[in-house]
Amino acid sequence: MSARDFSQMSNTELLRAEREIARQHLDRFPWFSVAWAFVNFGTWLVLWPLVFFTGFPLWAAFLIATLNISLSYLPSHEAQHDIIARPGSRLRWLNELVGHMSIIPMVLPFRAARLTHLEHHKNCNHDELDPDVSTRARGPLHAVWRSIQNRQPRADAAYNAYAACLQRIGRTDVILDSVIYQIVFYTILIALAWSGYAIEAALIWWLPRHIALTYIQYYLSWAPHHPGDMTERYGNTRSFRAILGNIGSMGMQYHIVHHLHPRIPLMRTGPAYWDMKPILEARGCDVKDL
Amino acid sequence: MFQLVKSIFMVGPLLFGLGFLAPLMAQILRAVDVTLPWGLTPLAVGLFLGCAYGLVAQFRGRWI
Repeated sequence: MSARDFSQMSNTELLRAEREIARQHLDRFPWFSVAWAFVNFGTWLVLWPLVFFTGFPLWAAFLIATLNISLSYLPSHEAQHDIIARPGSRLRWLNELVGHMSIIPMVLPFRAARLTHLEHHKNCNHDELDPDVSTRARGPLHAVWRSIQNRQPRADAAYNAYAACLQRIGRTDVILDSVIYQIVFYTILIALAWSGYAIEAALIWWLPRHIALTYIQYYLSWAPHHPGDMTERYGNTRSFRAILGNIGSMGMQYHIVHHLHPRIPLMRTGPAYWDMKPILEARGCDVKDL
Repeated sequence: MFQLVKSIFMVGPLLFGLGFLAPLMAQILRAVDVTLPWGLTPLAVGLFLGCAYGLVAQFRGRWI
């Protein structure tokens, strides 16, 4: 069906057509994301003994660790939306395992990530209610700068905004997860540093984590929501053409599909986008770049 | 316990400066084999710089 045909449809008909397309991409087990989670986390773990005991070059470990931590969020993101397995299903343990495990290098507890991310979906681009709204920026360089600034000790964004969000939704118990993660992270860093492994700790965890957080916030939060001034279902997210391509932007070019149908696995958002694009155009979505 | 954790987080930048940046700078100074003035050890320089930067971050609320 062409875009012109869709433009003549009522909102109800468009929604029906959109759901029909979404259904074709739902309920597929995300094997790739699950394998990605284990391989990625395992590789990052193996870097430590490799560097400590085998003389593996630290510069190479730094590059691999940066890649690992940059890739650590998305498998957990699939788990946050119960894409791997829904509550009560046989493989639910795998969903939760991937969710918890894959974001350990980011020092981000799964329960906090899930609850705040679902709040982001509910209140996307809302000035007070979207915990990720602080990534809003004028352009790419400003987005990078905002990401770094948001992580400063007294910033009221990033993890501090997550704590405020958890407090607002009455889940202060989950803040404890973040406190424990932070204490364990800094205790490990300090213990390694005073044991003579400060550079190793800095280049396998501390610095790669900061680079990865900037990269993740750029492509997962800023780019798909820019300019971030609309809260409506068909206006709060866009498609875009990333300089680094679809793989380099971790599939985020099609993030609009994820916001409309969060249970479509990451690997299916691209095909779903192309199927859905005439409908998105008919809805007035910002899909002109891709 | 809650008060203790809160206190630790309140002086986080200073602790990070002394606990992590200081030994990191000391290790870097040793690695580049730089000759330090007045017979200072790499760790002494690291502690001074780590403490100073940590204090600045502590009062400004930001590292950069």
